[in-house]
Amino acid sequence: MSTRAPGARVPRSTADQTPPEVSAGPRGGITLGPNDRLIGELHIDGDVRLGGTVQGEIHATGDVEVDDAAKVNASLAGGDINIRGNVSGPVTARKRLVVARSGSLTGDVRVARLVIQDGATFSGNVSMGPQPDAFAPVKEMPVASAAPEPAKAPAPAAPAAVAAPQPTRNDGKAKGKPQKR
Amino acid sequence: MDVQEAVAESTPIEAAQDKKDGLRRFTMGPNDSLEGKLTYDGHVHLDGRAEGELRVSGNIEVASGAKVKALLEASNVTIKGDVEGALNARDKLVLGKNAKLSGDISVRRLQIEDGASLNGHVRMGDFEHQGSGG
Repeated sequence: MSTRAPGARVPRSTADQTPPEVSAGPRGGITLGPNDRLIGELHIDGDVRLGGTVQGEIHATGDVEVDDAAKVNASLAGGDINIRGNVSGPVTARKRLVVARSGSLTGDVRVARLVIQDGATFSGNVSMGPQPDAFAPVKEMPVASAAPEPAKAPAPAAPAAVAAPQPTRNDGKAKGKPQKR
Repeated sequence: MDVQEAVAESTPIEAAQDKKDGLRRFTMGPNDSLEGKLTYDGHVHLDGRAEGELRVSGNIEVASGAKVKALLEASNVTIKGDVEGALNARDKLVLGKNAKLSGDISVRRLQIEDGASLNGHVRMGDFEHQGSGG
């Protein structure tokens, strides 16, 4: 049923039904090519694929993909995050972070799951858990270590000697030592 | 405090020669336990429980089901069980899919399989002075 209304502007692209220009393009999202550059903050409802230079912050409700040629100097947040290029900055993956063998990541990482392929470069702090955003009570206890101390009982003048030098896991998140790369 | 000797209970610890590279092999079974400080010229296979400090010229392998709370230092480290403590791999660290590691690590190469859990700081690169007149 193609009634050609005279003067009606037919969008040219409907004529030859070209597939979306990116082969494996992100769904409802954004692709930055190798010559594109973004400096600033991006919040996006969907996926984002970074191929060029990025500085600032990227927040995606969907997945974040960093291509081989990309140079990202930004904080990244997304569902699945896949790094094949160069990233420097903190990364939060609600689902899974993958640093592929061509990838390089410098920055602190909060993820639910983490995959680092052989050949990848990574430096930073890793905290893993089912909910990277909410500090829900930890379900899985390190079985051997933590004997639940009776913290409820108000012990006046806690004996300092009782503190055996337990190798505390890194809770010194505050100490920002300058990281040379 | 430095514990000089390694106390091993129920000792089916066998020292066998590794066929491949001729290095000795220190093997612990799932019912073994080790507490203290071990310096070993060869490979170490850890199962059961280990606590303290292990410095190994070869590789360390932590079996799945093992519980290790120790400082680990070796060429290659492969973890399939639970490890708590600082870790230094002169070459490569591999975290298997059921591995749990909490502690700061410094490695040359790193491979983490999906499902593994890691908490700690990661430092990566050639941080050792390996000859090459510099």
